[in-house]
Amino acid sequence: MNQYLVKEGVKNQIRKGEKLVSTHCCYCGMQCGMHIRVDEKNNKVVGVEPRYDWVLTKGKMCPKGVTAYQTIDHPDRIKTPLIKKNGQFVEATWEEALDLIESKYRGLQENYGKDAIGVYGGVSMTNEKCYLVGKYARVGLGTRYIDYNGRYCMSSAAGGFNKTLGMDRGSTLPWTELEHSDTFFMAGSNTAECHPTSIQWFWKAKDKGAKFIVADPRETTTARLADVHLDLLPGTDAALANGIMHLLIKHDYVDHEYVRERCNNFEELKEMTAKFTPEYTAKITRVAEEKIIKAAHIFGKSPRSVVMFARGAEQQTAGVDNVSLYTSMALLRGQIGKFASGVATFTGQGNGQGGREHGQKADALPGYRKIANPQDVEHVAGVWGIKPEEMPKEGVSAYEMFHLMQNKTIRALHVICSNPVVSSPNINYVQDSLEKLDFLVVNDFFMSETAELADVVLPAATWAEDEGTTTNIEGRVIRIRKVVEPLGESKTDWEIMSLIAERLGKGKYFDYNEPREIFDELRLASKGGKADYFGVTYEKIDEQDGVFWPAPTEDHKGTPSVFQERFATEDGKANLAVCDFKGPSEVQSKDYPLWLTTGRVVYHYLTGNQTRRVDFLMEQCSEPFVEMHPELASRYQVENGEKVKLSTPRGEMITPVKITKAIRKDTMFVPYHWGKKLSVNQLTSPALDPYSRMPEFKVCAVKLEKLTK
Amino acid sequence: MNKIMYLEFERCIGCRACQAACRECGDHDAKERNFVEYVDFTESRQTFPMLCMQCKDPACARVCPANAIQITEEGVVLSAMEEKCIGCRNCTFGCPFGIPKFDFETNKMYKCDMCYDRTRNDIAPMCASVCPSDAIRFIDFEEMQQLRRKRTQMNLVEGKKPQEGNKWDYVPEFFGVYTDSQS
Ligand code: SF4
Ligand code: SF4
Ligand code: SF4
Repeated sequence: MNQYLVKEGVKNQIRKGEKLVSTHCCYCGMQCGMHIRVDEKNNKVVGVEPRYDWVLTKGKMCPKGVTAYQTIDHPDRIKTPLIKKNGQFVEATWEEALDLIESKYRGLQENYGKDAIGVYGGVSMTNEKCYLVGKYARVGLGTRYIDYNGRYCMSSAAGGFNKTLGMDRGSTLPWTELEHSDTFFMAGSNTAECHPTSIQWFWKAKDKGAKFIVADPRETTTARLADVHLDLLPGTDAALANGIMHLLIKHDYVDHEYVRERCNNFEELKEMTAKFTPEYTAKITRVAEEKIIKAAHIFGKSPRSVVMFARGAEQQTAGVDNVSLYTSMALLRGQIGKFASGVATFTGQGNGQGGREHGQKADALPGYRKIANPQDVEHVAGVWGIKPEEMPKEGVSAYEMFHLMQNKTIRALHVICSNPVVSSPNINYVQDSLEKLDFLVVNDFFMSETAELADVVLPAATWAEDEGTTTNIEGRVIRIRKVVEPLGESKTDWEIMSLIAERLGKGKYFDYNEPREIFDELRLASKGGKADYFGVTYEKIDEQDGVFWPAPTEDHKGTPSVFQERFATEDGKANLAVCDFKGPSEVQSKDYPLWLTTGRVVYHYLTGNQTRRVDFLMEQCSEPFVEMHPELASRYQVENGEKVKLSTPRGEMITPVKITKAIRKDTMFVPYHWGKKLSVNQLTSPALDPYSRMPEFKVCAVKLEKLTK
Repeated sequence: MNKIMYLEFERCIGCRACQAACRECGDHDAKERNFVEYVDFTESRQTFPMLCMQCKDPACARVCPANAIQITEEGVVLSAMEEKCIGCRNCTFGCPFGIPKFDFETNKMYKCDMCYDRTRNDIAPMCASVCPSDAIRFIDFEEMQQLRRKRTQMNLVEGKKPQEGNKWDYVPEFFGVYTDSQS
């Protein structure tokens, strides 16, 4: 079958002896369209060709996307199962690896109960796999302890959206409409570096005169484009959003009809925001009053605006509050559910949207169903062919699983598509927790820092060696195509889970020949849920450039814009957020007098386990650094490039200084893509948002020290 | 080919996708031929791309004693022919923009050839194809003129009027790089 999809009149370069396979990037939520070049003779991946006709990204890619294909046939690939013997990994057959896993899993579960095994998933993989991870944990292993790396990524956005709008679809509108918006209010997102190909849509709008307001402690590449840059202190988003709403009310920018008909809590919100005068807001956020006022007027006057946010606002103990408050700004202006306006979060991982919908989360089942809800359990149990009472109860969040490893409640862990000893906060504790396990299994295709700690490493296939679907940043379900066969002995994650389930006597629940069968089951499992995929098919995805969920019936075309008539709450009305400013869990002290925040650079993805192996990307950025203002550098007498020590009560790191005026004078920034001694997550705070259980990666108090020779 | 390589410096977000993509072009030996620089990182994150201007009367080719730098019928100034380049590095000194690069291992120059194997078939060069920010574009001559007019219009709409002495503030980030032969 021809796997090269191209629209009429669009030309690609196809070299002699090569074919193209149409797919999407494996990294961020933009899921840029691309064609992978394959040598027809030896079936090897040889390069990439822009997919000019992909509706969202138009052939554009960031450097990660351009070089993504280089990870497929990479010399570092793990090609056989590995078993650790006397501290060393030795190559093993699948039989040996599965034998060992079976005996350990069975032994531990017999002695300590089903819940002695935990599963730690991820969302940089297809919907089919993400869905199966949930089923594998609950049916294959029968454990309640499952959570996933999306907890560190999208959980606060999910929490905030659910509270205010009743449903968590990352974007309420398709992004192809963004060019028609006239104001963007962007908080805690450096989209130019983290989702670079999105920037084309903002430019399109800007070329027509759209305004840009960016809230970020740094003057990022994104903030540089802003008409107003609100350079807030990390962790003060709640005050900023309340302050803006105070002004929207004061200057009567509120869409009263919309608010009356479609929102609850307006009076309460009015009361709460009353104290957030520009003066008070400026005192907390340290943003100049006139900038706050200017931003409020631009946003307030704009007929079509989009409020957007990302991890900067979400990875805080007030993450859910922040999301709810920013969303409420859009509600006050009557924007959600209308053309070219609304609210959106930037999904960090490739399938951060789809991966959070189908039951990898401790309390969730496919289609955003809830384990706590008996009808939901009944529906999913029916699809899975188990009895409702066999469904394990709700587990705990990702970071909290490490506490359970410390106290030996969880004795074995299966990590699939994740690298928690780099991505978690306070990683010294996380590493110690994993070391306390009796047995650790990791699926990966490169030796990650987490895999190094494993007893068994199972060689997983890459994204180009399997087919399936992902759901992009907009909520559009798209198709990932298989380009080549899995390298060496590697197997897809869904095959691995099925094989283990079979060993545990659960084979009949995992009898799949191809991903499409898993997808069809997912469609049924999600049917009637909020994230309803029943009407999504592979064919429909190809026909109409993806399908936006919900698509509740087979003839449904999908729902590009949501909430046009009503919200997904019980009474159909949105709940305006009434949240005071609480402040981050850590404040500056005499010992830790500065602020530290973390984030991405454009060259790396998540824990860097893939991107740190790509030459081009390493040539651009091979190690972390600490960004600081020249005034701060001068106070500590440090120079550009000089190595300094950063510390918090949890850990320390030594890293070179990068001096720039494009950051607040009291805040330092370190990117997080490295492990071990190079990891800023040795320092970050594990304080959790009480509702979403999202750790506060973005704010902690830190000490800066000049090194003595 | 009646297309323009069109650079809009201000749009550059410094992602260097253009450089990663340059390596991917078939004839490029996995070596990039374009540049992305910070204006001054201490002051701001503004970066800008730089590629070969495909000069009409290219200094690089003129100063080449071996006639290694060929100009195609469309006017694209190609990278030096490997068998002809004698490694004297004259081109690297001759080019006013610092474009030709030099490989000290093979003792040969290499430079941007506008992805000639693509552009001669009217397919955009790799850098312009991937640039997420449209800082590099491969567009028709007329589209370029339109863009330039539009920019000035936008300024006027925003109430900014050029004064004597700052007229260039209204267009400086535009930089047309083009070949003028029609084919
Ligand atoms: S990392 Fe994101 S922006 Fe970059 S190419 Fe991949 S999907 Fe596109
Ligand atoms: S790809 Fe475009 S935005 Fe990125 S560095 Fe190159 S010119 Fe700048
Ligand atoms: S290399 Fe320099 S001199 Fe030669 S065509 Fe390009 S810009 Fe002109």
